[in-house]
Amino acid sequence: MPLNIAVLVKASLDPNMIRTGSDGGVDAAATPLAISEYDKNAVEAAVQLKEKHGGRVVAVSALTWGPSARKRKELEQVIREALAMGVDEAHIIIDDALIPGDPLLTARAVTALLQKLGGFDLIITGEASMDMISGQIGGRVAALMGLPFISYARSLEVDAGAGVVRAVRDLEESLQTVKAKMPAVVSVTGEANKPRIPTLLQIRRAMRKPVKTYSLSDLEVDSVAKPRLVEMKLIQVKRKNVIIEAETLEQAAEKLIEYLEQEGVLPK
Amino acid sequence: MVRVLVYTAGPAQLRGLAGLVAALGASEAFALTPGREDEVAQHAYGVFNRVYRVDAERLTPGQLAELLEGLYAEHQPDLVVGPAVKDGVDAGSRLAARQSLPMFTEAVSVELFDGGLRVRRQVLGGRAMAVLESGLPALVTVKPQLWEEKAPSETGAEISTVKPPAALVEEESWEPKKREAVDLESAEVVVGVGRGFRRKEDLAMAEELARLLGGVVGASRPIVADYGWLSEDRWIGISGKKIRPKLYIAIGISGTPQHMAATMDSKVIVAINKDKNAPIFQYADYGVVADLYKFLPVLIEKLKEKLGK
Repeated sequence: MPLNIAVLVKASLDPNMIRTGSDGGVDAAATPLAISEYDKNAVEAAVQLKEKHGGRVVAVSALTWGPSARKRKELEQVIREALAMGVDEAHIIIDDALIPGDPLLTARAVTALLQKLGGFDLIITGEASMDMISGQIGGRVAALMGLPFISYARSLEVDAGAGVVRAVRDLEESLQTVKAKMPAVVSVTGEANKPRIPTLLQIRRAMRKPVKTYSLSDLEVDSVAKPRLVEMKLIQVKRKNVIIEAETLEQAAEKLIEYLEQEGVLPK
Repeated sequence: MVRVLVYTAGPAQLRGLAGLVAALGASEAFALTPGREDEVAQHAYGVFNRVYRVDAERLTPGQLAELLEGLYAEHQPDLVVGPAVKDGVDAGSRLAARQSLPMFTEAVSVELFDGGLRVRRQVLGGRAMAVLESGLPALVTVKPQLWEEKAPSETGAEISTVKPPAALVEEESWEPKKREAVDLESAEVVVGVGRGFRRKEDLAMAEELARLLGGVVGASRPIVADYGWLSEDRWIGISGKKIRPKLYIAIGISGTPQHMAATMDSKVIVAINKDKNAPIFQYADYGVVADLYKFLPVLIEKLKEKLGK
């Protein structure tokens, strides 16, 4: 039985390419956006389910970093990557009220779009985004839609005939196998699968797949007051950075032990 | 003066959260936890006006969220506080959506000011610290360990027992992960092993060093996740354990931001790596550029002499 699957994808600040201002503050506008790491696992999970059961995969995303005129191009690149992996079509929300992002409003916007598109058996997301790591979107969307939510799934399978999704949740101290009736929302971990790398042909085909854009007013969502992101500063590391120089390893070891004794960290 | 609603995945987490409640100077506080009668009684701290004990060993996040909805409606708290564990974030996000609450995941500090809340939390893979402000009511999840020292010890709060509700997601089975009895998070001395080690057997040198220093062995991600040489509870990283020892010796570890963010609170960091350009030397107080296979045996010998062992 074919499945209708939605995948939530975020264009996140790339933590490996952070640009800063002179005060050590993160310059979000200058930092490139990339597809959030675990969202690749979500796309892969969705595409694998489509390959097994038939159906279609739709990507949904919202732009949460600005300025929107410039950043929407980067969001579109992220979406093309998902399309190249096997997503069939994409729907993106661009509205300055969503910038910078806050999970409460982003979840409302995404939910409105999912309900407008309608009829999904599964909504899959990454466990958390790689930039803000809030891990709230999946739970918020599920609660707003009144759907079951399975978080931190490291494996996911569907019994299409019975309309049931089954997953193993990767918790801190345990593995929990759960099941729920579809439609359901699932968030996946980095261990869930190995995301495919699209071929050149798939990337070219992706350019022709449909991408539709919406504003908050298209979705009839009111903007609300959001928490204020007061600052984001690189964590400055202040350590002594003493490199122990010595002629022999024995001398180096002795010097190190002396330092450790001075620091008072050796056993008495 | 705020009213706080606290929830946990188990009674032991109540200790730290009681500490946060005390630090915030809450005027009223309520707690929700699953657990056995005797366990919950041990953790029914006096700062709570009432502890709601769910008669179950564990709850799914959906059940926790459903019970929280009921208590939220009854008590109308200004602040909801949960544990920064996966089930805690899951349950919190559902309550936050239904009650339109801003939610801050894994806040490392929580301050109240007139009509509002300020939190600090790590973002960008542990590379940056974000400061956020919002009005109340709001929801935060925190690591209970950070507030354990502030926990007042007297117990005796009134306990009410509630039944676990039905849930949309059913648990079919549950198995604990294989764990050793090692507590990295409270260890005073930690020796970390990384990809500089070529074989599992060679970790024995690190174990000997740890033994001499009165510490435990931890590891960077590849040793745990890729090679499986050590169990997950020895993984030092933002997705693993955060350590706060007085001494951390990182051996054959390159020093990725995700690893180093979890060692930030170490008093002294020592790095041993044969690559002088390894990022870890930026994060270390003392560094030795040397092949661990040559240096470790010498260090161990010299330490034995020094400590008279």
